[in-house]
Amino acid sequence: MSDPAVRVRDLVKTFEVTQKAPGLAGALKGLFRSETSTLRAVDRVSFDLARGEMVGYIGPNGAGKSTTIKMLTGILTPTSGEVTCLGFVPWRDRRAYARSIGVVFGQRTQLWWDIAVVESFQLLREIYGVSGADYERRMKVFDELLEIGRLLSQPVRKLSLGERMRCDLAASLLHEPPLLFLDEPTIGLDVVAKANVRAFLKEANRRLSTTVVLTTHDLDDIEELCERVVLIDHGQVLWDGSLRGLRDKHLPEARIRFDLPAPADGDPAELAVGPWRAARLSPGRYLLAVDKREASAPDVIREVVRSLPVLDLAVSEPDIEEVVARIYRENAALRRPDAPPASEGAAAGIVAHRGVRRG
Amino acid sequence: MLATALSSARPYLAFARTSFLNILAYRARYFVGILTYFFNATVWYYIWRALFHEKGEGATLGGFTFPQMLTYVATGWALRSFYFNEVDRDIASQVREGRLAMTLIKPVDVQAMTLSQALGESAFRLVLFTVPIGLLLVLVYPVLPPVSPAALALYLLSGLLSALLVGAINFCVGLVAIRTTSILGVLRAKYLVLELLSGLLVPVAFFPEPVRKVLVWLPFLHMNDTPGRLWLGLATGADAARSLGLQAAWVVALLALGRLLWRATARRIEVQGG
Repeated sequence: MSDPAVRVRDLVKTFEVTQKAPGLAGALKGLFRSETSTLRAVDRVSFDLARGEMVGYIGPNGAGKSTTIKMLTGILTPTSGEVTCLGFVPWRDRRAYARSIGVVFGQRTQLWWDIAVVESFQLLREIYGVSGADYERRMKVFDELLEIGRLLSQPVRKLSLGERMRCDLAASLLHEPPLLFLDEPTIGLDVVAKANVRAFLKEANRRLSTTVVLTTHDLDDIEELCERVVLIDHGQVLWDGSLRGLRDKHLPEARIRFDLPAPADGDPAELAVGPWRAARLSPGRYLLAVDKREASAPDVIREVVRSLPVLDLAVSEPDIEEVVARIYRENAALRRPDAPPASEGAAAGIVAHRGVRRG
Repeated sequence: MLATALSSARPYLAFARTSFLNILAYRARYFVGILTYFFNATVWYYIWRALFHEKGEGATLGGFTFPQMLTYVATGWALRSFYFNEVDRDIASQVREGRLAMTLIKPVDVQAMTLSQALGESAFRLVLFTVPIGLLLVLVYPVLPPVSPAALALYLLSGLLSALLVGAINFCVGLVAIRTTSILGVLRAKYLVLELLSGLLVPVAFFPEPVRKVLVWLPFLHMNDTPGRLWLGLATGADAARSLGLQAAWVVALLALGRLLWRATARRIEVQGG
């Protein structure tokens, strides 16, 4: 097996946060002495990415996603830990490394705000030393997939969010980097624009075997694009594996919805079906949720059809948003003050790392 | 060798060009600026006229005749309209707004990029600012021509070095401003120091001797005083060579300082937001 495109080991980033006491007294106190506390934004994160892999990096707000991306792109220097991307240490070899990566931060643009988009592309062409022929060919592809041709003559400030995002995506791939980081590339886009962006990313990954790291709040992005997800919360990796595996581990539920003819005297709120109980959703409509570890969906369906005069029936799985929401909730409950600390070693670990760095 | 140097300079030429285009988007602001510079020079014209009038016809102040003083003021303000940039404020706001991240993801040297943008802005200012202001001043006030073609050439060379000097200083100031919470305070202090010590407000010849002895070894007076004296022929021969040499040395030294500061700062930068 060849070297991984990205190798992350025990990555830690802490920030000093100044605590401000409230009110005038607090403000005055702050003049002389400010209390700081340490926030561990990224807490011993490790993973490998193979070349050509597309990975979803997900987590709730403030989980440490963007901080990780900023370290992987060479913008931030970690507190401790190791990162090797395409053989580079991002923050140390920033300039050389930057030639091999493309980055899109959905909330910002890398295009110049007040000048025509095409001028930004010309500048990027010079920065990355893209030849005239390559430039023409790639711009043609971008126009076919993202329809940016007619946007090129306009200044960025006049573009809609979706138009700007398409231009930013094209800009990040102008030099055909082997590694692409996308931080919320579909934020604020409408359904059509999202579909365009996803199709474009799929195509880039297929055609150039670009390795893609994608952070997003829109789990449909992940479901459509990524085989694998790395889920983090409070700076720690909670899951690294397939989306299906994530669902099977945390919410292995089959949901069978069925309709019955409405009885004259109204239907009961709960209905026994063999050993299971179905809950009423609306008059005549029931939902039966079973744990897949305890029963197989076909068995349950057979029982439903055998014992009840079913008019209609549908089977579904919990969607991934629900699974992830449940994991966040479980993790938050674990972290409440009365719960035992997740790891005693965390604080000691950071001190040791600092010691190594100083020495 | 030359070919590699040229090809590695290409992105930075492109930065200068983009900066030029970017400012073009705000050209209205610049036309107002022409008047601002003209008024500044005018205020100083009347102040000096009053002071010289007091002394009587043909008097000198600090070794300057009145026409020389007027010319010193006019060339000074015209030059300022060329070398002025706000690289420091831009760096500070890039950090504050988290836009610096978009620069750091590009394979470019941040200092070289910043200076290219500053020079691109100066090129713009030269055409739409300095030349019209210079013409206006020459038409309205009895500004002396340069004493010789050589003096003009040295003035232009020195003016170009001034632009580099200001760019180098502002890059450092911007990096220092990142670390303080009061960026505006730092910038205000900088303008006060630069305008006072560069000779823009008062010719350096008017400072007390001990102060002048120190100033000669600082970078600031090279921004305005050196080019002004070259134009007037008050610095010639060895004096001119020494002044230009010091000016160039300061450009190199401050660029080096900027690199050191950048290295120390980049590691500490905590990109906000996102």
